[in-house]
Amino acid sequence: MTASGTLVLDNGASLLKAGLASHKDPLVMPNAIMKAKSERRRPFIGNQIDECRDASGLFYILGFQKGYLVNWDVQKTVWDHVFGKDCLGLNLSRLNVVVTEPFFNFRSVQEAMSEMMFEEYDVAGLLRANAGDLCVAAEPARPDNLCCLLVDAGYSFTHVVPYIQGKKRREAIRRIDVGGKVLTNHLKEIISYRQLHVMDETYVMNQLKEDCCFVSQDWRRDMKQAALPPADNPILRHYVLPDFTSLRRGYMKPRDPAAAPAAEGEQLIRLTNERFSVPELLFHPSDVGIQQMGIPEAIVEAVSACPPETWPHLYRNIRLVGGSSRFPGFRDRVYAEVRALAPDELPVKVTQPEDPVTCAWRAGAKLAGESRFSSRLVTRAQWEEHGFNICLDTFDV
Amino acid sequence: MGSRVRAASYVVLDEAARRRRQRKALEALELDNFHDDPHANLVMHKKAPKFDESLDGKTRPDRKRKARSFEYFKQRFRKTFSSLLEEEQQLEPDPPNYTSAAARPSARPERHLCAVCGFPSTYTCVQCGTRYCSARCLHTHQDTRCLKWTS
Repeated sequence: MTASGTLVLDNGASLLKAGLASHKDPLVMPNAIMKAKSERRRPFIGNQIDECRDASGLFYILGFQKGYLVNWDVQKTVWDHVFGKDCLGLNLSRLNVVVTEPFFNFRSVQEAMSEMMFEEYDVAGLLRANAGDLCVAAEPARPDNLCCLLVDAGYSFTHVVPYIQGKKRREAIRRIDVGGKVLTNHLKEIISYRQLHVMDETYVMNQLKEDCCFVSQDWRRDMKQAALPPADNPILRHYVLPDFTSLRRGYMKPRDPAAAPAAEGEQLIRLTNERFSVPELLFHPSDVGIQQMGIPEAIVEAVSACPPETWPHLYRNIRLVGGSSRFPGFRDRVYAEVRALAPDELPVKVTQPEDPVTCAWRAGAKLAGESRFSSRLVTRAQWEEHGFNICLDTFDV
Repeated sequence: MGSRVRAASYVVLDEAARRRRQRKALEALELDNFHDDPHANLVMHKKAPKFDESLDGKTRPDRKRKARSFEYFKQRFRKTFSSLLEEEQQLEPDPPNYTSAAARPSARPERHLCAVCGFPSTYTCVQCGTRYCSARCLHTHQDTRCLKWTS
């Protein structure tokens, strides 16, 4: 049966981005089941968390572990909610589905994903791809983007992936095991030690990290400035924690050296070096003891693992995607460090799409409308005849 | 006063113990939750009717008979990350694979940060090896964390 549309599902470990390819924007929601201590009768699935009045001490149940999908109970529950009448209201049996997977996805997880889609959801056709592959394939071919060096900074890890003429070079892929999860956990730990016990408050601390943290352009200088007294300190800020009665979402107070910090009944967190030392882990994982190189060094290593004639093309087309690339100053810092490490005669250019989180979804939606799309799908008829082997032949994951 | 009191029971952690602690700290960075499930020990009222407890909190009166039921999936595909990784390493022992893609240690020297305040540190606690930057941070560390739990 021919499909009447395409569902694009960017299945991330933290956020799930889903929607029909014909839609303008995807639905973005946490890919998790959350339990609140204030609401004992029901768990919250995905975007139902917006209905929760008191999100303190939120307990997360994630389907992903270390970036790979291991818990199908959880994932199916979330997907049923997304495809059901509360969200998209779709019947997958009439649709083609584009779903994303992490790089080097385990064979058994690939099998499980294919079976789940064809047997449980009855999809008309399936395309499994890495999110990065979609981002690169959607770019129109120009002379300056024959090759692309993609940096996907996600929740579980960060991958540096060279693409040569649209195809990823597997032996040159590098994975840094630092992602949004490590950053938020580190932030929780240092705040819990220095000020207030927040180890249980993943939801609130994640918002704090997104609101207040930035990537430093000069670590030494910022460390010196963060230690200065409040009047001269450009980095010091206070963050107002939500109390879920009058204030539902925390916010960072603007810099005001003169005013007294705490108003009536406000709970404040004082932030100095935490603002930039947390995202610094993406550049120096050794700051917390993770014995791996940071993103700029990994970029240079990944490029060096490719043939020398591709190096100029890779360095001049570095793209940053993924949620953890949204820190202010991230792009400039990556450029500065790569420029310093890369050979002088090669041009270096680092770009970021407008929305790094939905970039892969938009790329998938664009691809679904192109003529080459149907050749990359596995249809239900093909699945029934050949089983998983056809997936091994067709998909490049 | 602080150092004289400590002299009575002077413990210094050796290299192996310090490494074990570091590993525990790194594992803690990978956790999803630091507290227990708040819904874990709900005591139901004795007279409440027994519904079919399913994960999304809803009852499912209309379970369609599929070619393979959902129970089959739960059984077949429930594995831990480490067993999946082992399986994968046997399937794909040669690079490029998941293991070979891991970034190697950096060529740059490690930067040391004070465990108490986060600013650059130059000193190390003699007993447990934690970094600190000043006498004040050292005293905070000794009062709160130093050797305060075993691992």
